[in-house]
This record gives sequence, C-alpha cells and structure tokens, in this order.
Amino acid sequence: MQVVFESVSKSYGDFPAIRDLNLTIEDGALHFLLGPSGCGKTTTLRLLAGLEEVTEGKIFFDGGEVTHTPSAERGIGMVFQNYALWPHMTVLENIEYGLKLRRLSKEEESRRLDDVLGYTKLTQFADRLPGQLSGGQQQRVALARALVIRPNVLLLDEPLSNLDAKLRLEMRDNITNIHRETGITTVYVTHDQKEALSMGTAISVQRAGRIIQTDAPRRLYHYPRTPFIAGFIGETNLIAGSYLGGGKVDTGLGILEAGSQEGKFHKGDSVIVSLRPEAINVHIGSEPNDSVNRLNLKLERLTYLGDNEHFHLQTADGIDIKASLFNVSHHDLTEGDTVTCSVAPDSLLVLHPEEDLSSGT
Amino acid sequence: MSPVTSQEDSGRLRRLISNTVGYGTIGLTLAMLVFFLIVPVGLIVVKAFYNGEEFTLAYFELLFDNDLQMESIWNSLCIGLSTTVLTTLLALPLAIVNARFEFRGKALLSGLLLVPMVMPPFVGAIGILRFFARRGSVNLQFMDWGWIDTPIEWLAGGNVFWAVVILEVLHLYPIMYLNLTAALANIDPSLEEVASTLGVPRWKQLKDVVWPLSRPGYFAGAIIVFIWALTDLGTPLLVGYEATMPVRIFTLVTDVNENPMGFALVFFVIVMTVGIFLLSKLIFSGRKYEMMARGHVTSAVRIPGAAGKLLIYSLLIGTVVVALVPHITVLITSVSDRWFMTVLPEQYTGRYYEMVFQTELSLTGIKNSLMLSTASMMLDVILGLLIAYVVVRKLIPMADLLDSLVMVPLALPGIVLAFGYVVTYTDTFLDPLENPIPLLIIAYGIRRLPFMVRSAAAGLQQTSVSLEEASATFGASRFHTLRKIIMPLVFANLVAGGLLCFAYAMLDVSDSLILAMKDRYYPITKAIYALFLEAGSGEFIASALGMIGMLILTACILGASLILGKKMGELFRSA
Repeated sequence: MQVVFESVSKSYGDFPAIRDLNLTIEDGALHFLLGPSGCGKTTTLRLLAGLEEVTEGKIFFDGGEVTHTPSAERGIGMVFQNYALWPHMTVLENIEYGLKLRRLSKEEESRRLDDVLGYTKLTQFADRLPGQLSGGQQQRVALARALVIRPNVLLLDEPLSNLDAKLRLEMRDNITNIHRETGITTVYVTHDQKEALSMGTAISVQRAGRIIQTDAPRRLYHYPRTPFIAGFIGETNLIAGSYLGGGKVDTGLGILEAGSQEGKFHKGDSVIVSLRPEAINVHIGSEPNDSVNRLNLKLERLTYLGDNEHFHLQTADGIDIKASLFNVSHHDLTEGDTVTCSVAPDSLLVLHPEEDLSSGT
Repeated sequence: MSPVTSQEDSGRLRRLISNTVGYGTIGLTLAMLVFFLIVPVGLIVVKAFYNGEEFTLAYFELLFDNDLQMESIWNSLCIGLSTTVLTTLLALPLAIVNARFEFRGKALLSGLLLVPMVMPPFVGAIGILRFFARRGSVNLQFMDWGWIDTPIEWLAGGNVFWAVVILEVLHLYPIMYLNLTAALANIDPSLEEVASTLGVPRWKQLKDVVWPLSRPGYFAGAIIVFIWALTDLGTPLLVGYEATMPVRIFTLVTDVNENPMGFALVFFVIVMTVGIFLLSKLIFSGRKYEMMARGHVTSAVRIPGAAGKLLIYSLLIGTVVVALVPHITVLITSVSDRWFMTVLPEQYTGRYYEMVFQTELSLTGIKNSLMLSTASMMLDVILGLLIAYVVVRKLIPMADLLDSLVMVPLALPGIVLAFGYVVTYTDTFLDPLENPIPLLIIAYGIRRLPFMVRSAAAGLQQTSVSLEEASATFGASRFHTLRKIIMPLVFANLVAGGLLCFAYAMLDVSDSLILAMKDRYYPITKAIYALFLEAGSGEFIASALGMIGMLILTACILGASLILGKKMGELFRSA
C-alpha cells in the first residue's frame, strides 16, 4: 500500500512537532524514518497509525484519504517501542487478539496462527505469559501480533532499541527476511543510522519536525543534501569554506579541488565541504601521484580497531580531521609525525551551509 | 480504491455499537452524578434561602435564635475538633513506629490496628453503655476493689460528650494512622541524612524537613476525620446525646415540610464540610512535592533496641486492646445470660445468635444489607472504573472538574445526602417512604464512589497507554479494549476498591436510618438500632447482630488490605 503525507502539520499546543511534512512511502517499501530524538519521527508514525490527529494536511492510503479515519479502521499493524504486550494474556492470546476481532473462519484463523508462530519461531512459547519471555522473544511476539492480521502497513517504532547489540543484529536480518517474504509496506522508525542503511529500501531523514531528505541508502550516504545529513549518516569531516568558482573551494585546508558543481554555487558563496574519513588517502611510505588536494597534517592520535584504524589529524591552524584506513597491516607512524594525505576531487562533497530550521512554519 | 479492506467494514458496525454503549454509559454516569449528587445538595441550598419564590434569610434567623440548635452546632464542632486532635496524638506515634522501625510481628500488629474501622462506633456504644452504666460492670468492679463507694456517673451530663469523642477516636484513628504512615514513608530518608551531615539538630530536621513534607498528607487525613466525626449520626443517637447537629437533622427530616429550619441547618453542615474539603483541595492540590528518585531506602527503617522494643510493643498492643474495648463489650453483651449486678455475666449463651436468625427484623436486616451492599458495590465498580478511565485518560473536556466532583462525597455527610434525597424524591417514583431500595443503593454507591475511583485510577496510572493503543490499532473499539485489556489489568484494584465499598455500605448509618422508613426495608444498621430500642432481649440481639456484621466486615477489610498493601492509605484522603 502506498502512503502519502500531504503538507501534514501537528502541534501540541504552541509546540510544532511536525511542520509541513510531505512524504511518499511506496508500496512494498521498507521505509525508514531516521533522525535524532525529538525530531518528530515517532509522531509521524503515530499520525500514520491514527493514534494522533493531524493539525493540518492530509494522509492518503493508496490514494484514499484516511486523515480522519480512526486507527481501528486503517488496517495497520504496529510494534511499539516498549512492545505493549498485554501482560495478562499468553503469547497465543496476544497474537490472536487482533484476529478474533476480524471474525475469520476457524480454519483461516488457525492457519494464520501456525504460520506466524512458525516464522517468528514462537510455537513452543505459545502458552507463556510475556513476563516469562526474554527481550528478543517479546519483540518477536510483538512482531507476530502485528503481522498476523496481514496489515496494510506495518509500523515499527524503534523495535530493536531495547535489545542487546548481538540480538539487534540477528533481529535486523529477521525483519528484513520477513519483509521480503510478506512484501508488506513497512515503516520503520529509528535513530540508528546503521539499522536504516543496512535494511532500508528508502530512508527519510527527519529533523526538527521536517523531512529534509528522502532517498535510497546509497544515495543518501553519498549525496547528502545538507551538512547535518552528512554528519548524521555515517561520519564526516565538515569544513567551512568559500566557493571560488570552477569547482574550487577555499578552505582551512587550503584550496581544494571538488570537481564540477554544475552551477550549484556562485563565486563567493559560503559553503561546507564534507570529507568522509574513508575518502582521505593517508600515504604511508609513498607519495601521492599528483598534487591535487594534497594535505600535510599532523598526527595527533591513533585509534586501532582491528579491521580499520582511525587517524586523528590536525592542520597547522588547528582544524581536526579524521581519516580511517582499512586493512592497515603495519606502519611505524607515531603521534606528532607529519602525514601526507590526499583526497580525490569526486569524493569531496560541497554543500550549502545548514539552513535555519527553527524559524518559519 | 478504498483504503480500507472489506474485513474492516464488518468491524465498523461493531465498533460503532460498542462505542455508543460505552459513551452512553459514561453519559448515564454523569447523569447519575447530576441527579443524585448535585441536584439534591443544590435543592437544599436553594430551599435554605427561598420560601417558595421569595428570597429569605428567615430560616437562618430562626436557627440562630434557637438555643438548642446553636448548642448542637457548637457541640458537634467540639466533637469534630476534639476527635481530630486526639486521633492525631494517638496516630502519630503509631505512624512513626510503622514508617521508621522494623520488628517482629509488625505486619500482624499493623493489620490489627485497622480492625476498629470495621465497626460503626454506634454498635460499640451499645457495649459501652452497658459497661459504664450506673450499675454497670466498671462501677461494680471498682466498688468490689474498694476504689469507690458510690457508683460514678460515667455517662451523665458533660461526660456523654467525651463518651462520643472517645468512641469516634477509637473508630477513626486508623484513617489518620494510614495517612500519616503513607506521608512519612514517602519522605526520602536521604533528605534527613543530608540535614544530619550539615549538622542540623534532630528537632530542627523534624520542623524544617519532615513536617513540611508530610503536612499535605496529614491534613488530607485530618479533614476526613474531622468531617466524619462532626457528622456521625449513630453514636450520639445511641448514647442519647440529643444536642448534636446530626441528631437534630435526623429529627428534623421527618417534618421537613413543616419546619424549614432543617434546610438552614443542613446548609450549615454543607458549608462546614464540603467548604472545608474544597478549601483544602485548593490549598494543597498545587503543593504536592515530587520526591526525587529514592536511593537506598533501607536506612529509613531501624531496628529498635530492647527498651525501644518494649515501648513499641506496649504502644501497639495497648492501642489495639483499648481500641477493641467497645468491640469486646459488645461481644460479651451478645453472649451474656443472667447478668444482673455482677461485673461479668454469671452464665453465657449463644441464644441471641440463634434469635438473630429467628427474628424477622434482624434476618431481613442482614438480607437487605447484603443485597444493598452488593448492589451498591457493583454500581461503584462500574461507575468508578468508567469515571477513573475518563479522568485518567482525559476523554472528555473538563475531566479534572469531574475528578473533583466525584471526590466530594468523601466530605459530604450521609445525613446531608439522605436529607437531600428525602427532599428531592418524596412524592416521586423514587419516594423512599414507598420503597427506599433504589435510593439506598444509590446513596451507598455515591458516597463510596471516591474509594472506587481512587483505587481504579491508581491502577490505570500504572498501566501504559500503549497497551490500549496496541489494541486500537487492531481494530478494537475503546470499550472492547476497556473490557479485554484494562479491566483484567486493574482487576486487583477493582476488587480492593469493591471490598471497601461493600464494607462501608454495610456500616452505613445515616443513609440507612433516614431513608429506610419501613421495617421490611431496614438494613442491618437500622435493624440494630431498632432492636436496641426494643425492651427485653432487644439489646442482646442487637449486640449479636452487631457481631455478625463485624465478622463480615473484618473479612472484607482484611481482604482489601491484603490486596492493596501500603497503598490503602491513599484511599482515605481528601487531596
């Protein structure tokens, strides 16, 4: 089912939680709403679920307006952050609650129950109470309960935030698989960019009640629209500068070559340059082939992480730059050494400075 | 294309019906509050100032010129104030012991301290009257021991005032004790520890830290004690203390149409009780102090030394024994045979208990009370849950106002409400003279509604809203969710609140005495009163009946306190 938000706003008293939000969630997508806490992503989800009333704007399911349709009639399945399992009902009773309300035939009911208990691996726990389950099992019950009714849209509100790191990875695969098998349009709220990048078919980054970019994971990572997104999705070095024209930017690192900007900027514009740590080539015992974007930096500190190593570098003017290198087997650099680095022009991203999000509506 | 699948359509009608029924019930609940709380009380206020269409203060002039009425107002105020002061003095050490010390048998003794709540003081009065009569056991024993030569007039003249006060104190101190314990147990012990590290002397800690923090809890309990003592009808009626406000109102209610002074007097009571209650809510509602998260609490509870133990045990056991004196005297009276001019009966018999079940009056009394209390309890459970739900989840505009309104009956004396019902519903289809059953159920129900609402609200506040939202997303109506999700989750609170409502309905004196006018509609309390007035063995059967009532109630209160534990204190407070 395709879900569309059209100029949706939501205020709590004077506080605008959602401002003029436009969003299309494609049928069959695993669409992420990603943003820092307080950005309005959970509110967006609750508006979609019909648990909150929109202040302005419209919401459409497959072209039909549902703005004022009660939650009960939207045919959604929701997994709450705290799971909201009913503590007085067994696993089975929790799961069949929604089915019973749908008055299906006995055969259909038990078929669906067996089905969902099977692929969430809950069959042996059917008679337990939620309090007797581990966090991961509770999470699966919440998921099974939402899926068994074959919802039009599945809504997941930070579903993995209460699990430990290992279980979280396992459940990511689990959810991805379930999504692939069922093809249910799924909206997933999280503040964990790794979850979004690794699982999503589309990601909307939200900030201060607005969606500032919606894109596929790859595009979002490589072509963030704003410095905030660049910093929020993965790590980056943000350096202020001014545009000189012809793809050249004057920064604290010197004049950097950034490739063609196709008329995006005018000469003299203030810009922000985004430089991913892995895009910085650190030359150990060799010299760069040419002199484009060549940097001489002082090594401040090293963080060895096994599969990669972080180089904390600094310019003569005291600007901190972080570089990360993969598969470094051996080097004899020590803190205080001067290191030669280079950056390929096309891995350097020039962005407009952050727009002020606090003003306007 | 429709955004809603076809299986959703069949659910829509069911949801509509369910929501209609649900909101309809809420509407009925509100209507009940209007017709059986606001209208009767409002009518009294209006009638106190209007003679027909004409505004008048004549009734008040009549009241102020009447020495007996003025004396009874004064006496009742004195009863209320003395009872409040004395319960405080009695309950404070008990609460400190309970909140701050740990010792063997604490749970049992704390439970026993609550027992006096289960008997209306007017039943105890029967026993007290016998033991402290001119030729009663106490005088006989004292003369036996040679302490006195002539009998002491325990209950003559001014002494009757103290007899009432003592009976009230012995009945009401548990309420004060519950409130003070809750207030003290709520204070983070580290607040006092901080004061200690700063070198603040102990007395100054009590004055500057403990007292300000426990003050709201104290006043919440004190106001209930004051109001209940001020307006208790049964006790002064039984000991024959005619010059008290409740007894005056009781006599005035019979000829209210000829003597409108009753309106003025009841108006006075409303002002004194509801006025004080609302004032206290106004003063204290904004001043509840939030405690920070509590760290280690263990340090608050100390284990007393040997001398401390002796003191604690003698205090607790002493209080329980003294508080049970009225009950014990009733028990002895109920099993006494051949008792004349001796300290204790010469022979004992179970005859009166048999007679309870053979006498028409007492048997119907038990039956009526069980039926009325059960019905009013069910009314309370339904209304209480719905109101608590509406208030906690703020389902209607001005939910806070509704919350305040349902708490009013806690302060509204039974005599006022019963008086209001008689005035409002005489000569209607609810005429209490014809059949008081509906009005009795409603009166019992409305007056205990605050317990139920508080109890249910406490449960609801601990239940995450997302449990309800989850149900809504599956297509459940609000009231399907209420039945399937919320009710099971707050079941313990409903049971506990229901038991209390039942117990207090069984104990009810003022509504029962005023509204039940024919023998066959007498509840147990009015049957006890009627039997007591009968010559011959009436007094003994009344005692036996009182004991049976007590047994039923002990079971209820013990059940409620087992379920609610420490939270029980929160049910008996005004703010």
